[in-house]
Amino acid sequence: MFGIFKPRTFFNLASTSIFWLKIIFIFSIIIGLGLALVFSPIDYLQKDTVRIMYVHVPSSWISLLIFLIIGICSFISLIFRVKVFSVYAKSVAPIGLVFSLISVVTGSLWGFPTWGTFWSWDGRLTSMFILVLTYILYVLLWSFIKDYNSAEKITNIVGVVGLINIPIIKFSVAWWNSLHQPSSITLTAAPTIHSSMLAPLLIMFFSFSILSLIIFLIRYKYEIINFRVNKK
Amino acid sequence: MISEFLNMGGYGLYIWLSYVFAALSLVSLYYSSVKKLASIKSAEHLYQTEKNEEASISVQANRF
Repeated sequence: MFGIFKPRTFFNLASTSIFWLKIIFIFSIIIGLGLALVFSPIDYLQKDTVRIMYVHVPSSWISLLIFLIIGICSFISLIFRVKVFSVYAKSVAPIGLVFSLISVVTGSLWGFPTWGTFWSWDGRLTSMFILVLTYILYVLLWSFIKDYNSAEKITNIVGVVGLINIPIIKFSVAWWNSLHQPSSITLTAAPTIHSSMLAPLLIMFFSFSILSLIIFLIRYKYEIINFRVNKK
Repeated sequence: MISEFLNMGGYGLYIWLSYVFAALSLVSLYYSSVKKLASIKSAEHLYQTEKNEEASISVQANRF
């Protein structure tokens, strides 16, 4: 059932594709940054601060997506006992942590000139803060629990339980009063932002996704070799 | 013109701090990952020196 996810698939992918992924990343980030910082228009209300969106929003999307991946991998590892899924989750977690931190920090830096405060304990910001804490807990558990099987079991539970927070983050702006604006882009409706802003946003998201994939492949390769070396 | 670009309509501090923080975080993550892999790379020959060995990796890895 999970044959396509066998360890060798990604191990070989890491060996063969990282070079080309780096080339794609360099091109896309140059285009993305050019559009974000130079060519995209200023917002009529937020003026130039809207340029923070091109880092903040893709980082938020990736941090949510990565935790969704961690949750699904943890669930499969926990229920079906397919060990490699916990390695996928372990390899991708630090990337999610960094993107969630970028999301929170850039959100604060965007918040001050637009809302007049760096932080507010409203639904979106608080649930995002909980995501950062969950990531930290997940990464620390892998670091501090020396027995592999115990670490795997506990982190799988954290991964599955942490999934509860994902819909809370997503719908927090609808459920509670928030300083945070509602989503401009959803999967079910047409985007409410102009194409001149949508293009750099999507290109930056693409760049960050490629970078995440590169770092994931490097970390996954490390985990597989490390497992083999420690086993010997 | 450059100072105008850096000033970003008076919001340069917030905008550049955001981009610099994101860049530094991602570069640190990338290099720490590369360094981690390099530290264990001496063992990589176990995996990739010969074709036959690759087959054995597959078997071992799938068991894993």
